[in-house]
Amino acid sequence: MKHHIGKSLAATIVLASATLALGISVASADDIVIGASLPLSGPLAGFGSFQQWGYKRAVDEINKAGGIAINGTKQQIKLIIRDDKTDPNATASNTETLISRDRVVAMLGSCTPALVNAGALVSERAKKPMVTGCDPLEAFKSVRKWNYVWDLFFHEPELGAAQFKAMADLGAKTNKKLAIWHDNGPDGQVVGGKIWPALAKEFGYEVVQNAEFPIDNSQFTSIIGEAKSKGAEVVLVDAITPQAIAIRKQMASAGYSPKVLNIEKGAEPVQFAEALGKLSDGILVGGYWDPTFPYPGAADLAKAFESETKLTSSQHIADSYAAAQILLDAITAAGSTDPEKINTAIAKTDKSYVVGPVKFDENHTAKLPIVSLQWQGGKTAIVWPKAAQTGNFMFPLP
Amino acid sequence: MPDIGVISSTIVAGVLLGGILALTALGLSIVLGVMRLVNLAHGDFLVVGAYAGLFFLQFTGIDPLLGVPVVAVFVGVLALPVYRLLLAPLADRGAEARMMTMFAVSIILENAFVLAFSADTRSIARDYATVALSLGPVTFPLIYLIGFVISVSLILTVHWLVSATAFGRDLRASAVDAEAAATLGVDVKRVQMLTFSLGAACAGVGGTLIGAAFQFGPSSGGAYLLNSLAVVVLGGLGSVIGTLAGGIALGALQSIGGLTLGDGYRDLVGMALFLLVLAFRPDGFLARGRT
Repeated sequence: MKHHIGKSLAATIVLASATLALGISVASADDIVIGASLPLSGPLAGFGSFQQWGYKRAVDEINKAGGIAINGTKQQIKLIIRDDKTDPNATASNTETLISRDRVVAMLGSCTPALVNAGALVSERAKKPMVTGCDPLEAFKSVRKWNYVWDLFFHEPELGAAQFKAMADLGAKTNKKLAIWHDNGPDGQVVGGKIWPALAKEFGYEVVQNAEFPIDNSQFTSIIGEAKSKGAEVVLVDAITPQAIAIRKQMASAGYSPKVLNIEKGAEPVQFAEALGKLSDGILVGGYWDPTFPYPGAADLAKAFESETKLTSSQHIADSYAAAQILLDAITAAGSTDPEKINTAIAKTDKSYVVGPVKFDENHTAKLPIVSLQWQGGKTAIVWPKAAQTGNFMFPLP
Repeated sequence: MPDIGVISSTIVAGVLLGGILALTALGLSIVLGVMRLVNLAHGDFLVVGAYAGLFFLQFTGIDPLLGVPVVAVFVGVLALPVYRLLLAPLADRGAEARMMTMFAVSIILENAFVLAFSADTRSIARDYATVALSLGPVTFPLIYLIGFVISVSLILTVHWLVSATAFGRDLRASAVDAEAAATLGVDVKRVQMLTFSLGAACAGVGGTLIGAAFQFGPSSGGAYLLNSLAVVVLGGLGSVIGTLAGGIALGALQSIGGLTLGDGYRDLVGMALFLLVLAFRPDGFLARGRT
């Protein structure tokens, strides 16, 4: 019987280990190794898969062009990606492993403040430069004064104001009663807890409800019931994708249909619209990139993604692609794998990328412009600002 | 203070949701009762059911609620080799070895879901899943009512199976004293295998309901396992009707908790109840006898 126990447990452990080990590769001695910890599983996997594609594309392009010259010798770039399963502790330990065992010379970031900041703190301590997107700038700056970590993404006050400006510019007539629902993550607390209430006052809205919930909450019956009973015609939500899907379904099944529904963060990836079908129509979400943007390579990037993966592109391919390009440009400029030299080169970045012009300020941040996107028939259209519109504003929410 | 409409709607929705929670916990309960096994992969069997319902709809075009018998059989059959190959050889090695084996199965299943279906969040999109029913001031989701009816029907069927059939007699005998049952001619291993399969089948049906009412992904199983454990402890270990009562009680109390403390505290209410019942009524607040 002992044999049986041994066999059963051994089989399960071997299978588990083999599954967990998938995707981890080993670099050769001549490669320039860079690393990233990404949420390839767990609630944020919808973001991680796009980031992975963006990072890999930038690396593949430079490798196809011959690599980067270090001390006069061209070397290939090896990108090692580890899955953090949407767990900040795993991001931190993955980053430790990438630095200490895989000997990366620099890092690329994960997604959302909780994950990015967890890895960034490890990079900072180890004095390994990291370039990241997917971390709203205020949430990034609030952690510490960074020396080795650089962030290009949107600025929360601009994102927060976009919905109010869009409603005003697009003539969305409502009773101006506003419900705010936000998770208790770092960016949820900043956007939903501070920025939206302050802007509501400025734009003449009455906040009839401000509800906070745990990031992995799944039931929203009471929150929805309260907003409905208070007659809120505008609902602003900050939640990750599984919660965003749950909220939209539960709103419909509770018979609550406000005139405007904006869901930040969770409504970004295409899986949001795929899971909801027609229910996603009319939902607004702030955006920082679209293939129609007049920046070099924007349209081509989306086409490349869609032809390779047969999936609809997401804005997360752009900031990740740009972050990787910025890091690779810095290694090229440094002509060295010395982290200090790479870090100095990142600081000097001043170039137009697929997300627009990038130049880091004294806080190590570069601000991306904001537009308002709306889900229409399973795809997003830019509805604000009017000058950039790629679709008519669907109002009220169907 | 919320108005009467919000309060009554929340409580009714909570009771109906509790029925679905009971079904999601039923498989865990009967496996625990008969095999003395805390099946740590139970939540993942639910997720298998959710994916099965989703793909059943995509490939056949038939509504997954009409296809729940197919999903039940599919998940039940999938559970058979898990029992035969992994659990049966450990029958004489105590609860810990089998529990850890199911923990490993849970990890493998979660990773297999990611590899096979990607890590995307999914939902079974049906029109009836987003329809609200109103009775005076009370508004509740139609899908909760549908789920409640299916759950109660299935739970009563399992109760009949356990209390009024020859298989049920063997099952109850195995649950009370497996060794004594074996000496009386009961094929305990076969009973355990069928019980494990029945538990998985119930989880499959519960998973399809969850997929239609809510959303799910590869790692959703853990949260449903926790809720199921709370239901089982509330209703009494191994009790079928107790599981129904436990589910309804948990759904209603979580809703009241959500109403008074906020939706974010629903799980806190559930887990607090779980610990209180474990401390003061370890056999469950309804448990007087099994089934």
